[in-house]
Amino acid sequence: MDIKIDETLDCKGLSCPMPMMKLAKAMKGMNSEEVLEMIGTDPGTKSDLPRWCGKTGNTLLDESELAGGVFRFLIKKK
Amino acid sequence: MSESNKDPGIMSQLHKTFFAKHWPVWVGGIVLGTLNILLFAIKSPWGASGGINNWGENVYALIGVFNLENAAPLGTSFYGMLCLFLVLGSFIGALLSKEFALRIPPKGELIKGFIGGSLMALGATFGIGCTIGAFFSGMPAMSGGAIIFTIGLFIGVIIALKYLMWELEKFPKFSSGKSYNFLAGTGKSGVWQKWLGWIVLIITFVIAYQYSGGNKIMAWFIIIGMLMGLVSQRSRFCIVKAFRDPFMTGEADGSVGVMTGLMVGLFGFTIIKYFGIGVGDIALRAREMTWVFPHFFFRAAIGGFIFGIGMTIAGGCAVGTLWRVGEGQVKLWASALGFLLISPISKLYIVPPIVDSLPQSWDFKSFLPDYLGYPGAFALITFIILIWYVFVKWNEKTGKFSAY
Repeated sequence: MDIKIDETLDCKGLSCPMPMMKLAKAMKGMNSEEVLEMIGTDPGTKSDLPRWCGKTGNTLLDESELAGGVFRFLIKKK
Repeated sequence: MSESNKDPGIMSQLHKTFFAKHWPVWVGGIVLGTLNILLFAIKSPWGASGGINNWGENVYALIGVFNLENAAPLGTSFYGMLCLFLVLGSFIGALLSKEFALRIPPKGELIKGFIGGSLMALGATFGIGCTIGAFFSGMPAMSGGAIIFTIGLFIGVIIALKYLMWELEKFPKFSSGKSYNFLAGTGKSGVWQKWLGWIVLIITFVIAYQYSGGNKIMAWFIIIGMLMGLVSQRSRFCIVKAFRDPFMTGEADGSVGVMTGLMVGLFGFTIIKYFGIGVGDIALRAREMTWVFPHFFFRAAIGGFIFGIGMTIAGGCAVGTLWRVGEGQVKLWASALGFLLISPISKLYIVPPIVDSLPQSWDFKSFLPDYLGYPGAFALITFIILIWYVFVKWNEKTGKFSAY
């Protein structure tokens, strides 16, 4: 699955609410159909992010766990 | 044979039910509300700032400053132990779901954690309680002061959220930079987390059993504290989130979870107070006045306001800080440290001179059934929760008050 990533947001080490605040701010500056890669370590993001996507209409394309407890999300802007 | 072959599958399914995914917040709310009733049934309701204050007093007693040699040793303090086992319960929950890791944030976040924790200590000592004692327990206890404390919290949260947004806009580097992540339980190599989780769980029950001979109440405070931590971690029950998120992303799930816990608590507390359950040797009046603090209205308003600012900057209230400590979020370690170091100082040296200069009529115990009767007080608290519910659900749909 080849997805073109337009921007990457590093939220490693951050805890709630910073990852969601940074994500919302980054998405504001992106164009429709662009894809943001977000990486972080807060387990809370695993529940917060899909809910937020559901609410805002953005699409969560992929969610995976990398080595060392790092979560990676790919989000396409509405 | 085929039956016995299925057994590991069944147990693994059971494990998955609790530890594969986060629980809905409202499930956490129901369980925490119920555990809160149990605490009240055996002694008194849930509180967190008193326990953290006890930790701080013990630290200063160890160093030998502030004349705190007579502070209750941690092992004899119900709330000190409740908080300690809440951290351990969250540690157990994080380990069993392989979510534990030492997450060290950028420096700016550590500073915010410490400042937020210190502000929470000031707010809790001035306001006589935190988001648990003066809100999550205070509202079901039908305390008028709890309503004022809640209003103070709201205002504090909104102002601090504005600050966070301003900081992100003007100084994004403050929350960026080097971060570290150790001991994560990703993949097969992380299976040690599950084993350690079971070991800590067993140790908790052994400690509770040790207490059960001479101090039955403490034995149950240990078990309930552990369960509270585990449930909070799994459901990510967070009172800051409940107050903040409608104004941030507009999300209402966290708020509804807290409301669920409040309603469950309200039913249980009302019954305990109304019938004087567990009244023992004390007067019925004393049982009724449990968790109705002399802070109506001034101390509750100012305390709630300062606490609201602190918890939003820290990213966790007293209990939200504690369970994130158990999960390995080092920002909240800084918050807990600020809280425990500042709390005894504030209680001894900062709050008394201010309170002594206030008129007595500014701060008294306001027990709502004294004015409205039990049905009226019950209806008022329910009505406030209902209004809050309608607001967050409406706002979730319309986004009128949300920043993002």
